[in-house]
Amino acid sequence: MMEYNQQLKLQAYLDGELPEAEAREVANWLARDREAVALLTELRNTRQALAGFEAGFRVPESEDFYWSKIRREIERLEPVEAPVRPAIPWFKRLRGLLIPAAAAAVLAIAGLVVMQELGLRQRGTPGEAETALADAGTFTYRDFSARATLVWLTYPAENEVAGEDPIGTMD
Amino acid sequence: MTDKNHSSADDAALVRAAQRGDMTAFEELVARHRDKIYARAYTMMRNEEEAIDLSQEAWVKGWQRLKQFQGESSFGTWMTRIVINLCLDALRKQKRQRTESIEEINEESGGVERQMPIVTVNPTAGLERSELRQRIDRALSQLSYEHRTVLVLHEFEEMEYKQIAKTMNCSIGTVMSRLFYARRKLAALLADLKKQDK
Repeated sequence: MMEYNQQLKLQAYLDGELPEAEAREVANWLARDREAVALLTELRNTRQALAGFEAGFRVPESEDFYWSKIRREIERLEPVEAPVRPAIPWFKRLRGLLIPAAAAAVLAIAGLVVMQELGLRQRGTPGEAETALADAGTFTYRDFSARATLVWLTYPAENEVAGEDPIGTMD
Repeated sequence: MTDKNHSSADDAALVRAAQRGDMTAFEELVARHRDKIYARAYTMMRNEEEAIDLSQEAWVKGWQRLKQFQGESSFGTWMTRIVINLCLDALRKQKRQRTESIEEINEESGGVERQMPIVTVNPTAGLERSELRQRIDRALSQLSYEHRTVLVLHEFEEMEYKQIAKTMNCSIGTVMSRLFYARRKLAALLADLKKQDK
């Protein structure tokens, strides 16, 4: 019986895996060993029987159904790309900024006016008071911000004696 | 249905279009090669459902890695390598889940095939093509996945011993031993099937 290594060498010869020198040795050996020839023939027959074995296979599913499963899986695994935003020209971006800037300016001005108004009231400016020398019992108060003038009269006048003319007739 | 414009294009043009994101071009490639990719998966897995699933998974991977395809081999060969690797992963997982039989351990140690008598008469001579396919199909089912895979890679994928060793992550000696066993076992199984006819 052949050595196992010889058997494997025979197979390598069939498969074209031996270097040229070794292949020549095997060819010489085959010329004088019938058992080796028989084994080589068996190996060759098996190889020939397998040729074309896969040729007749068909996917047992319709083309559309088979593809639809592949496509679905591809779509499921692919990350959804973020929509690309179109580039906005600089003047449009500037215009976009102007609206909030204008609104902020209006609010700031309105705020200043209110603050000024409140400040004026708190500081209490205001008005001025005067006393008429001719009539020491008369006070006049003017509030410019409220555009109001208040005249305060005290009778009988402080420089008069109340008892002299109880009726207070005017001459 | 695939785009009519693509049906006249060659594989290389379809690959370029698909690399730019044209899915209809890829659909045409699937239509052209799906039987071959499925056949390879079926030969390795021996199960129709698994073969369909793995072949479809291979197409999805093919789409994802399409930009890596530089055309060193044909598109069909490139896709076949993807499905082979997927099948090998699946078979390794399956093997981890079951215990090895004593027969498989003997096969791995490489001693059984030495004692098999040589099949002197060609067991497939004179068979119709469909009958031959059926018999080979049955015989292949009786091989372990390692022996079947070596046979597939060598006979159908036309890989050299060195390439098979790299693909299966084993030594060249193991490849030679497995291939020898697979061939001898297949010859014996086919001879048995022939005997059953008589």
